[in-house]
Amino acid sequence: MARTVKCDDEKLGIKILDTWAEAIDNVMEERPDITAFWLLKAFQVKRAQTVVLPDRKTLPSARLASRLALESVTDALEHPDDVVLTSIFLPNELFQAMGLYPLMAEALANFVTGAHAEPSFVQAAEQNGVPETYCSFHKVLLGGAFAGVIEPVRFIANCSVACDANNISFKLLARRFGCPHVYVDVPPEYSEESCSYVAGQLEALGTQLQEAYGRALDPDLLVEHVARSQRTLKNLVRTLPLRPTRFIKNGMGLEMQHALAFHALLGTEDVEHLSKLMLRDYREADGYDGLNLLWSATAPFFSSPLQRVLDSNTSQQIVASDMCFDQVSFEPWAHEPDEPYLAMAERLIKNAYNGGAERRAEQLRRVAERCDADGCVVFCHWGCKETMGASQIIRQTLEAEGRPVLVLDGDGCNRANFPDGQAATRLEAFLEMLEAERAEKPDNDEEVA
Amino acid sequence: MEEPRTPAPRRTKAAVAPSRSRDVHTYDFSAGPTNAEVQARQQRTVIHYPCKYVPVELLRGFGATLVPVDFEAESFEDADRLAHPNLCGYGKSLIAYALKPEVRCLVLTSCCDVMRRAYDVLAAQGCLDFLWLVDLPHLLGPAEDARFREELERLADAWAAFSGEAFDVGRAIAAFSPKVPRSDERVTLLGAHGPKSLLTATEEAFEVPVENLTCTGGRFVASPPPDLGRAPQRACHLECDASAPETSARERFLDWYAPALLHQMPCLRMADVRARETQVGTPGQTGIVYHTMKFCDYYGFEYLQLAAESPVPVLKVETDGTAQSAGQLRTRLKAFDETLAGNVETHLFKRGKRADNEAETDVEKAVYVLGVDSGSTSTDAVILDADGQRVASAIVPTGSKATESARKAIDTVLGDAGLEREDITLAVATGYGREGIPDMDTSITEITCHARGAHELAPEVRTIIDIGGQDSKVIVLDDAGNVANFVMNDKCAAGTGRFLEMMARTLEMPLDQFCAAGLQWKKDVKISSMCTVFAESEVVSLVADDTPVADIIHGLDNSVASKIKSLAKRVKATGPYLMTGGVANNEGVVTALGEALGADVATHEDSQLCGALGAALLGLESLR
Repeated sequence: MARTVKCDDEKLGIKILDTWAEAIDNVMEERPDITAFWLLKAFQVKRAQTVVLPDRKTLPSARLASRLALESVTDALEHPDDVVLTSIFLPNELFQAMGLYPLMAEALANFVTGAHAEPSFVQAAEQNGVPETYCSFHKVLLGGAFAGVIEPVRFIANCSVACDANNISFKLLARRFGCPHVYVDVPPEYSEESCSYVAGQLEALGTQLQEAYGRALDPDLLVEHVARSQRTLKNLVRTLPLRPTRFIKNGMGLEMQHALAFHALLGTEDVEHLSKLMLRDYREADGYDGLNLLWSATAPFFSSPLQRVLDSNTSQQIVASDMCFDQVSFEPWAHEPDEPYLAMAERLIKNAYNGGAERRAEQLRRVAERCDADGCVVFCHWGCKETMGASQIIRQTLEAEGRPVLVLDGDGCNRANFPDGQAATRLEAFLEMLEAERAEKPDNDEEVA
Repeated sequence: MEEPRTPAPRRTKAAVAPSRSRDVHTYDFSAGPTNAEVQARQQRTVIHYPCKYVPVELLRGFGATLVPVDFEAESFEDADRLAHPNLCGYGKSLIAYALKPEVRCLVLTSCCDVMRRAYDVLAAQGCLDFLWLVDLPHLLGPAEDARFREELERLADAWAAFSGEAFDVGRAIAAFSPKVPRSDERVTLLGAHGPKSLLTATEEAFEVPVENLTCTGGRFVASPPPDLGRAPQRACHLECDASAPETSARERFLDWYAPALLHQMPCLRMADVRARETQVGTPGQTGIVYHTMKFCDYYGFEYLQLAAESPVPVLKVETDGTAQSAGQLRTRLKAFDETLAGNVETHLFKRGKRADNEAETDVEKAVYVLGVDSGSTSTDAVILDADGQRVASAIVPTGSKATESARKAIDTVLGDAGLEREDITLAVATGYGREGIPDMDTSITEITCHARGAHELAPEVRTIIDIGGQDSKVIVLDDAGNVANFVMNDKCAAGTGRFLEMMARTLEMPLDQFCAAGLQWKKDVKISSMCTVFAESEVVSLVADDTPVADIIHGLDNSVASKIKSLAKRVKATGPYLMTGGVANNEGVVTALGEALGADVATHEDSQLCGALGAALLGLESLR
């Protein structure tokens, strides 16, 4: 296992970012417009870097995922008149087919954290009375709006998947911004009735979008997007068996960027291309016989001690995460793309993050089986009661199949809530345990022999 | 890796079914039922429920007994083990309650994340005979009414199969209690589920009755129309099959009942909550106590709006759903009652022992008023004469016994003044330990006393920042020195003297040395976490990085200042500021606070006596 070594360059980089974040902190209260400008500039510089100076240590598909995830935010911020503020779980094909830019709250918060600027946003939220125990992703969103860094949008649309925060933040922002808000209510169980119910809401959303933005939705284009979504998700499933024996040079940040791309841009040509590229990359990648770790929920991608353990490490890799596989189905879809609203509704209701903990655990079990995961980390993000409440059920489900589970508490967005050192110790101990278990397996002994 | 888990005790009769309900169990009564069997049978007709959207009247129509869950667990051991510690206290209490052997039937709704996961956890345990989750729509419209009706119908079918009972529309209609709008003078408890300890503390604190409209308290379903219970016409019977009369009564009841239940006063998880605004400013409502619970997402947000728009005073109290913070709650609630009364003097001493007799009749005797402030760190006493001049004062550390410390402070101040206990006209207690000080005439909360004392020391002050060992408060004063608004920290130690004490301990320094060292800082170090536990972890990391201790302490001072700034913003505090409490002696925190607030924060040499002085002054004013 790779030992943790302090790197001066890395510390310098963090120091520069912290200084920059401090400057943001100083100016945010008085001049939110300057903060917004600086943040956008930072995102744009990073976007340029993903094109001109991409990280050569990662696979081409990962580089594309990084660029697409970042573009989902920069494109939206650069086109404020065509933005729809939304959440990660609402299908985005409607927006894409209408040439609108979905700005996902989770993506925005992720990149604010990437820019080390989240403390000011969190503080702005808490100073305006947002409970400390609230989800940090939503705190960043609300803090940005309260401080005036996030400008009012023309339309907000989100859904009841996956948590209560979705039922609070967007409602509050719609009231603050004085803009239309569509809330898609998603029943927990799939049936033809519940599917029609959600499809009806999505269709109504389409009508309201057309009215709000004064543009028509081309039904054929919507069908095309939904068809691409289904093909993309199918490709994604096909990548699973390729992963465990290939060094996919993954990491927490990359996994999150994949998740953002597969949600914000699902249905676009770019993301379908990404899924094909992943298939090619994983087939051609170097051989790998280290540990394969399945990750559940968000990841503290900013944590240096954890990065040293997990990112691009030849001894252990994140083989997959359920944030990328929440929308896939291992069975054929009941509705084809030519029924686009029903097809989107079906995907939304069957999302692994919708409904009971048992479903979430079952999806993880199936992903783990297909990518032959050695173990799983369930990351209990601060304030995410859906994951916290499900954590022991996931644990029992996976451990029943011989895949040990580490329930790791922390925060996937706010550094202040993440005890770096303690988390790294727990994770490393877990990996050591997985290594020991693997060494004891008889088939492994045979291979060695 | 977490500690190995031991499986929860599983009851022998519990069915483990992955479906929404448990299998029906049969009992062999051929040899006559035993007492235990009779009891078990009775328990199987009792449905426990937490949420106001549970169809109580429908289930009563089947002869079931419905019991709201108001259990307050003393230990969350089971919930922490089966789920996670960071769920709300009510959800964890619910899990603990459902694991009790006498609880056999539980009906939940999908009202919030915690309730959904409580259902998952209990279903996985298989510990109940009947467990059901009613899916509650977020939206209100014809499609949602139809969905909800189907949900209720499914539950009705499942309960009928489980209990073997038929639905009787008369029983269901008899279960309704008509809503009578209140207009009497009262305080309303709003917000998240009110635990029993909060309800009791609220009822005890206020002079007027308390109305419980919290998440689980305000259940008012419209009364059914008179013809709902009418028997169907005979002609109808003839056209239907054998089961038609019963089925049609149930169906007609459900047609009416599902929308009525769904459209009651919305709880915050509903998409459209505008109707909730009608709960505020109703006739007779003198104030609102707004309860938020740790790890309950919803209610903090309504408070934000309420605090800005309410025509009646609002007090926010936050609990973790347990009785552990009752002491702090009593102080806040009582202070709010005093604020609502508006004129402390008029009602303050009506329960005092001496105010009505000796103090008013013994006019010849010289007047001396004693104020005693029993705090967590020190116990302070002040004696004033009839002109309000200070005769003597004393500060003694509060040891392990608050009563003993109070006695010592009183003896000291009496000795210094050359007086006996009998010479005291009126004795007024304040502070955390105020109820435990013997032989006092009355007590007032430290919030009201601090305000009065600070106004005396510095009349220009408009905001008092009091950081003590146990808690921190921001008290906003009006021009006359009355409490206009106040806020206290939550149960968490962040932003209190205790936080600094713990950090000093982490750095292995005595507190006075810790305070002094913080002034020697050279570089800004950011301690980003407000949480004591996480902040300690950050401090340890900084020490490991060889960060100078002075810089770390300065970072901690800033962290406290930042927390206080958040509190100050919540009550729209304005300068001039006066800082009181033990932490006022920490120059580093005072400076940091000034920088955070963008204004000078004054201290006063007598700031530690503020509470005792205020108590004595309020006592003196009541005699005039």
